[in-house]
Amino acid sequence: MSDFDLELAIKKLEEKGFEEYALEQISSSTEQVRFSRNSQDLYNNWDESVLVIFASRGKRTVSTNVKDPSMLESSINLLWNLAGKIPDNPSFEGINPEPQRGYQKEKLKKLDYDLQDFSTALVNSAIEAGAERTAGVLYNRANEVTVRTRYNRCTYTNGGLEVVIRSFRGKSTGQEGRHFGLSNKVGAGTIAQIGSQSAEPLAITTKSVDIEPGKFDVLMSPYVMGNLISYSSSFLSYYSVESGLSCFAGSLNKEVSSSSFTLVDDPLDSGGSGYRACDDEATATSRNTLIENGVLMSYMHSYSTAKRGNSHTTGNAGILSPGAWQLKLLPGNKTKEKIISEMDEGLFINNCWYTRYQDYRNAVFSTVPRDGAFYVKNGEILGTVGGIRISDSIPNVLGGVREISSETKSVKWWEEISASTMPYVLSEKIGISKAF
Amino acid sequence: MDGDLIHKILDYASSKSKFAEARYMEVTANRVGYRNGQFQGLSFGTEHGYAVRVVNRSISMAYSDSSDWSRVRETIDRALEKSNFEGKNRIYEGKALKDSWKVPAKKKLEDFSVEDRVRIVKENDAAMEAAGAPVRVNSMVDKRIKQMYVNSAGSEVSGDISRVLYFYLVGVIENGEFEQSMEQYGSSSGFEYIEKLDLPDRISQDINELHQSAAAPRVNPGKFDIIVGPEISGIVAHESCGHPTEYDRIIGREGAQAGESFLTGNKFPVKIGSQAVNVIDDPSMEGSFGYYKYDDEGIPSRKRYLYKNGETNEFILNRESAAQLGTESNAGGRSSSWGLEPLARMSTTYIEPGEYKFDELFDGIRKGVYIKSFTEWNIDDIRFNEKYVGKEAYLITDGDISGRVRRPTIETNTIKFYSSVDAVGNDLQFNAGMCGKGDPEQGVDVWMGGPHMRLREVYLQ
Repeated sequence: MSDFDLELAIKKLEEKGFEEYALEQISSSTEQVRFSRNSQDLYNNWDESVLVIFASRGKRTVSTNVKDPSMLESSINLLWNLAGKIPDNPSFEGINPEPQRGYQKEKLKKLDYDLQDFSTALVNSAIEAGAERTAGVLYNRANEVTVRTRYNRCTYTNGGLEVVIRSFRGKSTGQEGRHFGLSNKVGAGTIAQIGSQSAEPLAITTKSVDIEPGKFDVLMSPYVMGNLISYSSSFLSYYSVESGLSCFAGSLNKEVSSSSFTLVDDPLDSGGSGYRACDDEATATSRNTLIENGVLMSYMHSYSTAKRGNSHTTGNAGILSPGAWQLKLLPGNKTKEKIISEMDEGLFINNCWYTRYQDYRNAVFSTVPRDGAFYVKNGEILGTVGGIRISDSIPNVLGGVREISSETKSVKWWEEISASTMPYVLSEKIGISKAF
Repeated sequence: MDGDLIHKILDYASSKSKFAEARYMEVTANRVGYRNGQFQGLSFGTEHGYAVRVVNRSISMAYSDSSDWSRVRETIDRALEKSNFEGKNRIYEGKALKDSWKVPAKKKLEDFSVEDRVRIVKENDAAMEAAGAPVRVNSMVDKRIKQMYVNSAGSEVSGDISRVLYFYLVGVIENGEFEQSMEQYGSSSGFEYIEKLDLPDRISQDINELHQSAAAPRVNPGKFDIIVGPEISGIVAHESCGHPTEYDRIIGREGAQAGESFLTGNKFPVKIGSQAVNVIDDPSMEGSFGYYKYDDEGIPSRKRYLYKNGETNEFILNRESAAQLGTESNAGGRSSSWGLEPLARMSTTYIEPGEYKFDELFDGIRKGVYIKSFTEWNIDDIRFNEKYVGKEAYLITDGDISGRVRRPTIETNTIKFYSSVDAVGNDLQFNAGMCGKGDPEQGVDVWMGGPHMRLREVYLQ
C-alpha cells in the first residue's frame, strides 16, 4: 500500500490557493474466493491505495484520484490549472466547517479467515441441505480510511466478511447473501447455517401454479426489500429531490408508508460492512431516522445540500450528492410464518434482481423475482409461480405495507443490495405482471 | 508507474506456476457534467496497476497498484500459495503473439481542452432547456487506456485505446404526466465522434417526442403485429443472445451474480427462433464503443455469429471458459480495470440487417404498433423472460401509422420473441451501453444494434 503524506498534500493545496478541500485516503486489503458447480473458480487478492482529492477554487470544484505518491504535487498543480478553466459549480456550498467531536472510535482490524475453508464448508452445508450444485463468493476486506478537510480529521477502518451462496436443484434456486462487519467475528457454525439456508427454498415445493396478472398481497423477503430499498434509497437524497428525480419530493413530514414502517441509516453499527465513522467531508456519521412510523422525517444531506434545503447535514456526503451508508428497516412483531399463515391469497417472493425504472420521478419500476416466487392461499404455500414481475411504484409498495416480520437479516449481494438489514414485509395490492 | 515491473512479475510468477500471465493497465479518465443548468464540476484521474494470474492446482490472481517490488511480490506469493488449493485449473494457453495496436483518434483526448469539454455539455443542457425539459442530467466521459499483456507462453501485446461516452437523462412533464429518456453515445475514437453527432439536434428531437408521448393514450392489451426499432433490436441482441451465449454463464460461473443461461450447453445447436435472425458480436468493428484488436488476454479479435439462421452458432469465450469447453478462445476476455479479472464479454452485439426496406415492413399489418425506442427493460437471470417498455411508439392501422401510444410493453420470452420475427430491415444503427457483469462488478463499453424488424402476433400490455 502506498502512503500519502496528507499534511504535505494540504500544504500544497493551500499554497496553490484552494479555499476548500477534502482528502480521502483509502488503503485496502481484500481477499476473495469465487466458486461454482461446487468447486473453486478463483482466488483473488488485492493490495491497493488511493488518495481522492476534492478541492474548490472559489465555487469551481475539481476532483481527482492519485495512486502514486510521487505524482501528488503534479496532480495538485493540474487541479489548480484546470480549476481556472471551468465554470462555477452552484451545487457546491462549501465543506462542513463545524468542528466534529465524537467520531466513533472503534479499534477494528482485518479479521483472519480462511476463505477457501469457508467456501468448502458453505458448499458442503448447502449440499447436505438438498442442493445439487452451488455458486457463490466470499470476501474478506479491510479498508483503512482517513478523511481530512481544512476543519476536521477522521480515521476509521471498515470492511468485513461477505458471504454469498446460491443453491440449485433442477430448476429451483435459493440464495443467501450476508455481511458481517469487523466487530462481528464469524465462526464455522454461521457459515454452515448460511449454506443450509440457501437451500431452504428448494424444499418448499416444486408444484407449479399459474396466475393471471393483477394486484396481489406480496410478502417480500429481506432480499427483495434490500433490493427495492437499495435501488430507491437515492430518492431520499436531497440531491435527487432538487434534481426533480425523487418520488419523495414534497413529502417531508408527510405519511409515505404505514405506521409500522421505520427506516434508519445506521453507519455506526460496526457489526455490518457498511460501517463508517464519517462521511466524505469528515462530518461525523450518526444513526439517522429517515422514515419513522410511516412519516418521512428527513432527507439525506451533505453540508452543501443542507444549506440549500434549509436543513443540517446528516453525515451522508457525497459532497455534492449524498447517499445512504447502511440502511435498516426496523422489525415488527410477527414471525414470517405467522404472516404467511394469516394471508388469504397472495405471493411470497424470496429474491429479485434487475430492478429498473421507467419513471424515476414517480419511482415506477419493475423487478424480476428469482430464487423462489410462491403462491399462497388460505395461509399455505400451494406452489411456485414463474415468469412474473413486480411492476408497480415505490410509493405504492410503501403505502401498502401491512405487516413487518420480527426476524431480520443482514443482507448484501453483488450490485443488487447494499449492506443493509431487512425484515420480511407484506404489502397489499402490489402490481404483478407476467410474460405472455 | 508505467508497467516497468511487468517482465519481472512474469518471470517470478511463471517460475512457480504451470502458466502465468501479467497485465498492466492504466486508465486516464475525465468527466464533466451538468444538472438542470448547473455545472457539476470536473473530475479526472489515472488508475493503474498490475494483475497477475497463476495456474497450479487452481487459478489465483494477485492485484497490486504498488511500484514497490517487495509489495507486489507479496501479493503474488499469496496467490501462488492459494493456487495449491484444489479447484478448476484449466486455461487456454494458445500461441505466442507479439504485437501492439492503437485506436486511431483524430481529435486526441489529451489535446482536447477542458473548455471544449465543458462547452459541449453546456450546449446540450441549453438545448434541453430550450426544448422544454425541466429535468436534465448530462455527463461526458473520455478515457485513454494503455495496456500491456504478457504470458508464459511467450505472448506480448500492448494496446492504446481512446474512448468517449456521452450520457444524458432528460424528463418532461405534460399535463402532470412525467416522461423520461436516457441515451448513451459512445465510440472508440477521439472527440471527432462527439462533434459529428450533432447532439443538440438529436436531443431536441428526443424531447419533442417525449412531450407527445407523455400525452398519448395507453394501448389496449392484446395481440399485435409489431415493428421494433434498431434500439430495441440492439437491446434484445445484447440481453437475450449476447449474455446467454457467454460460456462462463452456461457453466455456472456467474450463477450467484448475474445468473446462468437458458442454454445449458448439453444440446448444440439450439433453435432460438426464425431463420431470418442472425446475431453477431464483433469486437473488430473499428470505431465501435466495444472495439478492440486484441482482447485483454492478448487474443486477436474477430467477428462471431452467436445465432445463425435462428440457431445457436458460437459462444463467447475467454481463456478460462474456452479451456472448459476444450477449444480456443475467441477473444471474449475483457477487463475494465487493472484490478478486475478478464471475463467472457460482449463487444458490439447486433442483429444482422436483412433485405426489407423500412416501408415494406408495414405491408400487411392490419392492427399493429411501431415501437421505435425503449425506456424500462429487464430480463431474468437465465436470459429468457424479458420486458421492454416502449418510449416512442405509434399505432399502425392497415399499414399506416395512425397515432401515438404511451409505454406499450412487451413482456415475453426469448424463444417467442425471435420466433415471431418474420421480416428484418436493411438498416443498421447502434447505441452505446455499459454492460455489467462479474464480482466485483465491472462495466465494459459496448455497442448494441440492429435494424428495424417486424414481429407477428406479439402480446402487448
